[in-house]
Amino acid sequence: MADSGDVDAAAVSEPLDLVRLSLDEIVFVKLRGDRELKGRLHAYDSHCNLVLGDVEETIYVVEDDDDEEETVRTLKKQSEMLFVRGDSVVLISPQAAS
Amino acid sequence: MRVNLIRPILIPFPLGIPGFFKTLVDHEVTVELKNDISIKGILKSVDQFLNIKLDDIQVVEELKYPHLSSVKNVFIRGSVVRYVHLPSAAVDTALLEDATRREAASQASKPR
Amino acid sequence: MENLSLQDLPPAGGPNHVQPALGGPPQLPPQMFTTAAQLLDLTDKKLLLVLRDGRKLIGVLRSWDQFANLVLQETIERIFVEDVYADIVRGIYLVRGENVLLLGEIDLDKDEYVPEPFRKVSAEEAHALKIKQTQDRKEPDKIRAKKLQELGFEAEHSGEILF
Repeated sequence: MADSGDVDAAAVSEPLDLVRLSLDEIVFVKLRGDRELKGRLHAYDSHCNLVLGDVEETIYVVEDDDDEEETVRTLKKQSEMLFVRGDSVVLISPQAAS
Repeated sequence: MRVNLIRPILIPFPLGIPGFFKTLVDHEVTVELKNDISIKGILKSVDQFLNIKLDDIQVVEELKYPHLSSVKNVFIRGSVVRYVHLPSAAVDTALLEDATRREAASQASKPR
Repeated sequence: MENLSLQDLPPAGGPNHVQPALGGPPQLPPQMFTTAAQLLDLTDKKLLLVLRDGRKLIGVLRSWDQFANLVLQETIERIFVEDVYADIVRGIYLVRGENVLLLGEIDLDKDEYVPEPFRKVSAEEAHALKIKQTQDRKEPDKIRAKKLQELGFEAEHSGEILF
């Protein structure tokens, strides 16, 4: 990486720069273990460890109903402030606030 | 009094996520592990691998995890943690974002 | 057996004393925040160890290193299944750090306390129940994984029965 003296705060030259631009914005995070998160990004590091605020977690669970047919249901959980370990993170996507 | 007013700006926020956790020592947190156990307790220490020590623990679903009933404090290996639920009142988000940007800048200037 | 001289308790300034300087004056001494410092408190205490494969070991921590490799003395393995449990005597164990899930200090006031519905049975009985339970779980787990895969999800820990 050729890093000149002027570090443009808006430059995107490596993948994590996109994450940096999402600081204090709402992001969507897909995780291992059938989970997704949506929340405001407050911190991250190079391992993709994240700190999110006002988080909504969506968990996908498979349920057996009466006729042997499995259905997928979602479960929602809220958390005011959440640290997410980077090794669970599959993708991070900036979201328009909704 | 005036010294106190400018103090928050002068104290550099510790770098990195482990540094952030150090600011939360003695607060109550809930650690959710990758095997779905949730353990609530007082954060006592964190190291560079994000191994976590909790005091006065309480397991959220005790009967599902009976082996933890007689345990008072735990050392949790960082690699098995999924989430740590934090008290938002103890987190200065503006300071945290600022520290994250500074760290990102210092990472970018490092040769790879 | 009891006179094992495992006097290799690393001194506080041992090989894992290197703690990178933080970006500023830390509020608490940095040596509090090494793996070594965290494990030092637990040395010679009676601990519960939960392994990645779900096994629970109870023993006295005699030695460890910065990877959380551990040596336990007078180890027993405790199997919980349905509403019973059993203890198996195991002796001395060296556990490789990466297999450690968590390490808990047993409250000596509550020592050996096992909550209500659980009753002690023989090791053979608990073992047989455990095998049956593992078998019974396999099929539903497979169906579940397949269903979620259709949605683009991948298991968090494929091939491991974490508990």
